[in-house]
Amino acid sequence: MSPLRAFLSALFLFVIFTFQESAIARINFPIAGFSFYLAVLIALMALEESSGAVLMGFMGGIILDLAPSTSTPFGQWSLVLTVMGYLIATNRESIGDFTNRAGAFVGFVSAASALTLAGYVLTGTLLGENNGAVVHNMVVIAGNSLWTLLFAPLVLPALAKLRSLSLTSRERV
Amino acid sequence: MAGRGGNRSRLLLVILLVTSLFLITLDLRGVSLTKSSRSATQSFLAPIQKGVTSLFSPVGNFFSDVKNFGKTKAELAATKAENAKLKSQLILSADMKGQLTKLRGALNLAGHGGYKVVSARVIGHGSASTFSQTLTIDAGTSDGISTNMTVLGATGIVGVVKETTASSSVVELMSDPNFKIGVRIAGTQSVGVVLGQGDSHFVLQLLDPSGTIKVGDVLVSLGSDGNKPFVAGVPVGRVSAVNTTGASLTQEADVLGFENLNDLGVVTVVVAPPAHDPRDALVPTPEPTVTVYVTAPAVPAVSPSPAVGASNTPTPVPTPSATSVKKKANK
Repeated sequence: MSPLRAFLSALFLFVIFTFQESAIARINFPIAGFSFYLAVLIALMALEESSGAVLMGFMGGIILDLAPSTSTPFGQWSLVLTVMGYLIATNRESIGDFTNRAGAFVGFVSAASALTLAGYVLTGTLLGENNGAVVHNMVVIAGNSLWTLLFAPLVLPALAKLRSLSLTSRERV
Repeated sequence: MAGRGGNRSRLLLVILLVTSLFLITLDLRGVSLTKSSRSATQSFLAPIQKGVTSLFSPVGNFFSDVKNFGKTKAELAATKAENAKLKSQLILSADMKGQLTKLRGALNLAGHGGYKVVSARVIGHGSASTFSQTLTIDAGTSDGISTNMTVLGATGIVGVVKETTASSSVVELMSDPNFKIGVRIAGTQSVGVVLGQGDSHFVLQLLDPSGTIKVGDVLVSLGSDGNKPFVAGVPVGRVSAVNTTGASLTQEADVLGFENLNDLGVVTVVVAPPAHDPRDALVPTPEPTVTVYVTAPAVPAVSPSPAVGASNTPTPVPTPSATSVKKKANK
């Protein structure tokens, strides 16, 4: 990932983060909520090559750590999403090319989103954070995955197309 | 290539993980850099959030509205039930207002006469099948009420206590056919007896053969020995018609009671008579008659001009009258 591409990706993620904090967070979803930002970030990580996915995860985590509503230690999200970026990068090839298989793409993003949230809770527990009741956490994770599963098909194809347009000819090869 | 790429990504992973852990350590150690970065983000997001709030407020509760649709219906039903309850309370409030007015009148009457009274609420009316005119009040012996006590309304006498229990009493209304009360024509010393007729009309039998009865005379109670069953000076009714025949030894008159016995909500029972006979102090003052003159405007004269081919029906000629038409109305 070139520095310019990394910068543009970070900028794009920050715009999505602003949209998430300003608009999506205002909607009262039944059964927990929907993290549009997390879905977009995981989708971008899934579309990147391995080092790019790790870097994207770290940048996305830093941006998420900036959220004023977050009460966990600064860096926790970046830690979790960096690991998730690595896991996605190493396991993505087993699923194959996402661009032609929208169903698999959506399912992968939804599952990765649930795994990310679970990892975040687990990391918080290791850091001594009070994460609340286990059942509540499970409901939050399941609810977010459900909403991701429902809304991702509307967004991810456009996101994949937008990314392919931003690639240089060398990056395409 | 894959191995080089894998090594590079693993190296990057380690570097980034260490960086993340370093940031976490800084935050847990209370370094203000992390806190100030979140404050800066909040400062950046705040104006955007304010602007977006107005845009998203209609859809913000969309899901909860859909989810709570059934609940909203239940709330609507509950609101309707509450509305009906409030309506009934409003009616009750109006009823209470009416009762309060009556109670005020009754207490005023008792106060002017100097009677010591106990107020009571009408809780029942006598059965029509018994042909007796009674009502039941919610005060009894525990309130100091005993039989043969005078019962007053807002404007005059209502009846007499017939039976009592600890918490209620039965009042014989003055419209009962068995009801009799000694009266005196206010302003004179002529005495007589008013008899109940079973309705709102009463009959006055004047005991004094030389006395005169006029329409409009007000009758007040004469008072009984020991003020039981009747205290003195209570307005009873007004003479509406005089029935004098040469054959009868006594003069009779039709009397209209002051109190509407069919519309009693609150009454007072005189438990102690006044220190002095109020005489005619309680006689209601006649209301002044209001006379209104209405003058109609003058009607201009119109000359009839029958059209050609008109029918032979005579056209009514307007009366060229410019005189004033005066209508007198008494209220």
